[in-house]
Amino acid sequence: MSDFNAFDAPELPLFAAADLQDDLLTATNDLERLQTLLDDSYQTLQAGFFSALGLLQGMARSGPLDEAIVQLSCAVKAFQFQDMASQLIAHTSQRLHHCADQLARHAFASDDEDGEAMVEAAPLRANPVTQSAMNTGFVEFF
Amino acid sequence: MHSILAVDDSASMRQMVSFTLKNAGYDVVEAVDGEDALDKSRSRDFDLVLTDQNMPRLDGIGLTKRLRETVKFKTTPILILTTESSDQMKQAGRAAGATGWMVKPFDPAKLIEVIRKVVR
Repeated sequence: MSDFNAFDAPELPLFAAADLQDDLLTATNDLERLQTLLDDSYQTLQAGFFSALGLLQGMARSGPLDEAIVQLSCAVKAFQFQDMASQLIAHTSQRLHHCADQLARHAFASDDEDGEAMVEAAPLRANPVTQSAMNTGFVEFF
Repeated sequence: MHSILAVDDSASMRQMVSFTLKNAGYDVVEAVDGEDALDKSRSRDFDLVLTDQNMPRLDGIGLTKRLRETVKFKTTPILILTTESSDQMKQAGRAAGATGWMVKPFDPAKLIEVIRKVVR
């Protein structure tokens, strides 16, 4: 059984608690969008894959090859979720690590006599992935 | 046959871009980041550079600036294909000398249509 007593824990300064809360809420929102991206991609992949498969199976009976190519193009678009999801995860992981390190630094402040405990830097930029669906992105010529 | 330098640190994205461009009849050389792209650009010519923005070592905007400093790539079309859609990033891409900005995910038919517009 743990002998930890919350009332004995050092009090977190208000600004630090607010920063942590902000970081954690942002991380939670990012993860929710990630789940939406994955769900959306999975649906598109599944539909495209089985449509193409059915068409290719029918090719022996002179099935429409053009339609199969269209379906596979949809799959190519959906497969890009891997890149977008990876960027989201990397960004969110860095933010969560920052929260955890900061929390540990405050919780164990008395153990860190020289005040040099490592705290991973929070991401400096906003999340690079703002998409919440796998719709085709826009093109802009300069 | 037109040749394209496709730059992205994501293996899955390079695979999708290469698959799409090769099916459309282009010769594709892949690079894993901006530095790798610079190395490959020294040894041969390309009709178009299609690059991601967020990459380790050298990003897409940095690559564009470095390529524009060379005589060989002064007028070569450079398209940035990225998840980034902020105006600030687009303006930085324009200032670096990019030809256009495309936001992921790309539709294969749309990508080919865009490339045919800029590669002559």
